[in-house]
Amino acid sequence: MSLFSFYANNSREALGLIWQHLYLVALSTGAAAVVGVPLGILLTRRPAWRSPVLGLANIFQTVPSLALFGILIPILGIGFWTAVSALVVYALLPIVRNTYTGVAGVDPAVREAGRGMGMTDGELLRLVELPLAASVILAGIRVATVVSVGVATIGAAIGAGGLGVYIFRGVAVVDDTLILAGAIPAALMALAADGALGLVERRLQWRR
Amino acid sequence: MAPVVGRTGTRTAGRFLLALLSAGQACTKHDRIVVGAKNFTESDLLAEIAAQQIERRAHLVVDRKLHLGGTFVCHQAILAGQIDLYPEYSGTAFTAVLKHPPLADRDSVSRIVAREYGARFRLRWLAPFGFNNTFAILVRRDAATRDGLRRISDVAKVAPHWKAGFGYEFLERADGFAGLSRVYGLRFSAPPTAMDLGLTYRALADGKVDLIAGNSTDGQIAALHLVQLEDDRGYFPPYEAALVVREELLRRHPAVGVALEELRGKISDDEMRRLNALADVEHRDIRTIAREWLEKNVP
Amino acid sequence: MKAVLEVRGLGFRLPGDRGGGDQETGIGRQLVQDVSFSVGAGETLVLLGRSGSGKTTTLKLINRLLEPTAGHVVIAGERAAAVEPTRWRRRIGYVIQEVGLFPHFTVGENVALVPRLEGWSATRIAARVRDLLGLVGLDADTFIGRYPHQLSGGQRQRVGVARALAADPPLLLLDEPFGALDPISRVELQREFRGLEGRLGKGMVFVTHDVREGLLLGTRIGLMHGGRLVFLGTPQEFERADHPEAVAFMRAADPV
Repeated sequence: MSLFSFYANNSREALGLIWQHLYLVALSTGAAAVVGVPLGILLTRRPAWRSPVLGLANIFQTVPSLALFGILIPILGIGFWTAVSALVVYALLPIVRNTYTGVAGVDPAVREAGRGMGMTDGELLRLVELPLAASVILAGIRVATVVSVGVATIGAAIGAGGLGVYIFRGVAVVDDTLILAGAIPAALMALAADGALGLVERRLQWRR
Repeated sequence: MAPVVGRTGTRTAGRFLLALLSAGQACTKHDRIVVGAKNFTESDLLAEIAAQQIERRAHLVVDRKLHLGGTFVCHQAILAGQIDLYPEYSGTAFTAVLKHPPLADRDSVSRIVAREYGARFRLRWLAPFGFNNTFAILVRRDAATRDGLRRISDVAKVAPHWKAGFGYEFLERADGFAGLSRVYGLRFSAPPTAMDLGLTYRALADGKVDLIAGNSTDGQIAALHLVQLEDDRGYFPPYEAALVVREELLRRHPAVGVALEELRGKISDDEMRRLNALADVEHRDIRTIAREWLEKNVP
Repeated sequence: MKAVLEVRGLGFRLPGDRGGGDQETGIGRQLVQDVSFSVGAGETLVLLGRSGSGKTTTLKLINRLLEPTAGHVVIAGERAAAVEPTRWRRRIGYVIQEVGLFPHFTVGENVALVPRLEGWSATRIAARVRDLLGLVGLDADTFIGRYPHQLSGGQRQRVGVARALAADPPLLLLDEPFGALDPISRVELQREFRGLEGRLGKGMVFVTHDVREGLLLGTRIGLMHGGRLVFLGTPQEFERADHPEAVAFMRAADPV
């Protein structure tokens, strides 16, 4: 059966899985950004925390995704929320690290001038540091999103749904059409996210 | 400047390569037998027993490819000659591989499977082990007591409030979920959650799902306080366990056929359950379990 | 005439062991010791000294980028210790060598920064920005919408000065403002600045290690050496001073 006829015959299920996948990625990356960006900013204010926090995030990222799912199952059980938790953990490092680098990378003269003129820490952050770091921060979010789309396919092994369901089903019964039915949309999703976020990223770049 | 590798050096390198190649030659199929297994404990155990039996009786070298994949992966592998034998079930061969509609009569199924495997695939069905591992529709014991569930037909009334979880193979197979829900009129609150087969037990025990399709000889059924429901409408075909072997191997090494024949009828349902529990519940090593069992039952 | 800025017994010791201090690591080192001076409206005090003499540190003690460990600072009658640091700095203009214009703000937005933070009305800000750009010699229409990366070094520092003057502070602090410019631009800006000094009527503290610049721009010269103020007087007095550091500087200004 060709891929097109597969989608035609299973449009509702396919759309459901695509939506599930999008939801997994959006929710987890969003949560990681909400936690990670402030954390990255905090690291610029507390340099002593930088090594332990970045080190910890780095350790999380080096754990292979299937292993991380396996570790979380006894604690959280199987299913959607376990997958989300694992995805959040993976998204944290690029987001925290890029936020830190972006904010810390602001020209020290700009920061000194701002402070010297009487900007509060909050005004400096809001008016100077964040706008100048925005492009780098978004690059971190972009990387996290693309990685999430890939890791989310493994979530199907633990009952989280998403496009991985097609891939695992196809593998179980040696059906290439099924495998591609899951793999191709996932790949396209990753490319689209990379492209769209990359566009916004370029718009936010400031020439120093 | 003197050459980096002198004449003696070249000769030694040549000899070394030759030795490597001949070792590779020795590894060809002529002397090495590959035993495969599906991706669950029972299959690994049966494959390991078969492998050790061949080693001790026929004195041949055996490679194992345990936990290879599902039914279809193993079937493709044996057709391609990547494995020489693996444990299979008559009902699975009948419906999933040969794609016949499910049949309840044990002897008919065995006869048809043996005949068609030989004719179509040049594969031989060896003596059955002696047990029947059918799909076990499992629910939690407290739910069974509370809702008065003894048979699969009893589930129809609670299904609309329930969630089901299945492994990927059960969802795809003709003798799997599609036929089951049709024959028993099961309408669950949502489409079943798909996950790795091994995780379905945990999902059921944790209350994430209310019904799963496990295997009737699994060691964890008792351990996790689960109850198997009776297949009162006879939906599932018989699943007699036996070894499927490439005929070419039996021609080359008749001793293998003789050795494996010794395993006929040696494992009952209960015995298989006991062996599975040793591996899954007590976490003992598969090799050791196989060895001890062989020493005791096939001396 | 009341002083715009009064500094009494100002001192700064690096954090570390009290007393003694480790000379090697610099912990506990006294960077500024017992510095006192006052600056009146329309006056420019040049803080002159070699690198490490404590002149930049003194400047930062005045606008509290560093907190003094001894002494006090009074601006227009208000004691520094009684005011919150951020509020304190809004009343002081600050110009640094690297300028530090915000790269993502236009020239106009850069100059308007402090008035905007202080909540001035949009019309008042707009008028003020135009006036200031004119004051520092930049045509408002041409420059108001430009970004810092489109300006030359000299133009950037002009904007820096305009920015510092935006909220009309009584005191201006300048830390080697022309140090990063090429010699021609430097001379040009020095000359214009001299003209500006008289007109503005503000108190200014101007840090430099260039003695000729100091003699040109200062109403008085304060020579710093080893964290202490070793000379305070008019440029003419400085030229005739017999303190060895002063002599060394004069000699360096006019090498034989």
